[in-house]
Amino acid sequence: MIPVCRLADLPRGEAFRLETVPPVAVFHTDEGELFAIDDTCTHQDASLSDGWLEGCEVECPLHASKFDLRTGAVDAPPARLPVRTHQVLVEDGMVYVLLCDTPPPLPPCAAARVVGAAE
Amino acid sequence: MIPTSLPESLISTLPGDHYTSPEIFAAEQERIFESMWFCAARSSDLGTPGAYRTVTVGRESVLLTRTRDDAVRAFLNVCRHRGARLCTQESGEVRRAFQCPYHAWTYSLEGKLVAAPNLTKMPDIDRTAYGLATVAVREWLGCVWVCLADDPPSFEEQVVAEVVARLGDAGAIERYGVDGLAVGRRIVYDVRANWKLIVENFMECYHCATIHPELTEVLPEFADGYAAQYFVGHGAEFGAGIKGFTVDGSEGVDRIPTVTADQDRRYYAITIKPQVFVNLVPDHVIFHRMYPLAADRTVIECDWLYLPEVVASGTDVSRSVELFDRVNRQDFAACERCQPGMGSRLYARGGVLVPSEHHIGAFHAFVLDRLGTR
Repeated sequence: MIPVCRLADLPRGEAFRLETVPPVAVFHTDEGELFAIDDTCTHQDASLSDGWLEGCEVECPLHASKFDLRTGAVDAPPARLPVRTHQVLVEDGMVYVLLCDTPPPLPPCAAARVVGAAE
Repeated sequence: MIPTSLPESLISTLPGDHYTSPEIFAAEQERIFESMWFCAARSSDLGTPGAYRTVTVGRESVLLTRTRDDAVRAFLNVCRHRGARLCTQESGEVRRAFQCPYHAWTYSLEGKLVAAPNLTKMPDIDRTAYGLATVAVREWLGCVWVCLADDPPSFEEQVVAEVVARLGDAGAIERYGVDGLAVGRRIVYDVRANWKLIVENFMECYHCATIHPELTEVLPEFADGYAAQYFVGHGAEFGAGIKGFTVDGSEGVDRIPTVTADQDRRYYAITIKPQVFVNLVPDHVIFHRMYPLAADRTVIECDWLYLPEVVASGTDVSRSVELFDRVNRQDFAACERCQPGMGSRLYARGGVLVPSEHHIGAFHAFVLDRLGTR
């Protein structure tokens, strides 16, 4: 379980980028739900935590690919591969994520970086 | 033979090259349009967050937009990355951000760099420092004014003071409620003449009886050749049989209710240097913004402003628009007639101003002062 930030420091409508390898984005939706997905868009290396949060969907700031925060599925191209979702927990006002252990579907350059980090 | 000294009735204009030389125009762009407050657009052109306009100010393209907190912002219309022009349209609307079409550097409406490919791999890039270059903005008279100077001059001293000096009273223009008026009609004129010919023309009325038959009919004192701009605080009075400031002197539309009795049935004209002309009449305001584009080319955007309810109700404003549209076309044709003569050897040392035009000498002194060549 990885600590993210205090819930009080993540207002609704905002996102937090967790500097793991690969990075994870934690979203606090306007409706008050928390979701965690891979932060890197599967189309080109862009940070989804910098994207536009609308309902349970985030739009990539670069080319407007959309991902469903609940499933990681692509809702709008140009991205074709989904992002992974991670489990979010809140304990004593602290937000944690439990990383999913399947390999990430990342764009080529970001994937190379993960491999490099593992070596 | 060209006389070397002038009779007392005459003073000299600027030399001809001041109306034709690309070098002098470049100096004016730098020292006048990029240094002073410049009226860039009507605030209502940026009606909603994300609405934008691009305008030419001096040598720069400036991007104007409105943020979600309803503030107007202005930026140089240039991507910080490789210098691509960010927005190529004259106006439009973005949903959330401005994105460079070259490498997708993406900027918020506040100008901050919010995304770029691989940006997270470059954590040393400060997103504000590498955001869009901000340009100073003020809103006044329902318009967006920008200043490209690093250290902008006082807006009150440059812009507001000019209106006060013309009308003789700080409150006079407030009574027209210009910021609350709505655009009833906009006409854009592309004029093949130097911007100073257009300013000079607007400042004098020696030509009125010759080229403005409709205007002189409505404002008979204009036949004397003394412009409303010649005397401080003077407004030209409508003729006896004139009901409104319209092409045929017929009734205008609903009067602006805060206009006072002494402002009623009068026409006031103001030049706000370097590129704005304002005409005030009891039921509307005519607002000209000039965009000098070259030594021999100037675009003029003219708005006819009425009470919002007049515009919303679809009231026919065509007769008041027609009056000043004709005046504009008559004036700009005259300026285009002068432009080729500016390059004549006869005009190398300039032309002359008669007494009813002598106040234009102050405009010439202003230009030379800004250029540092007086």
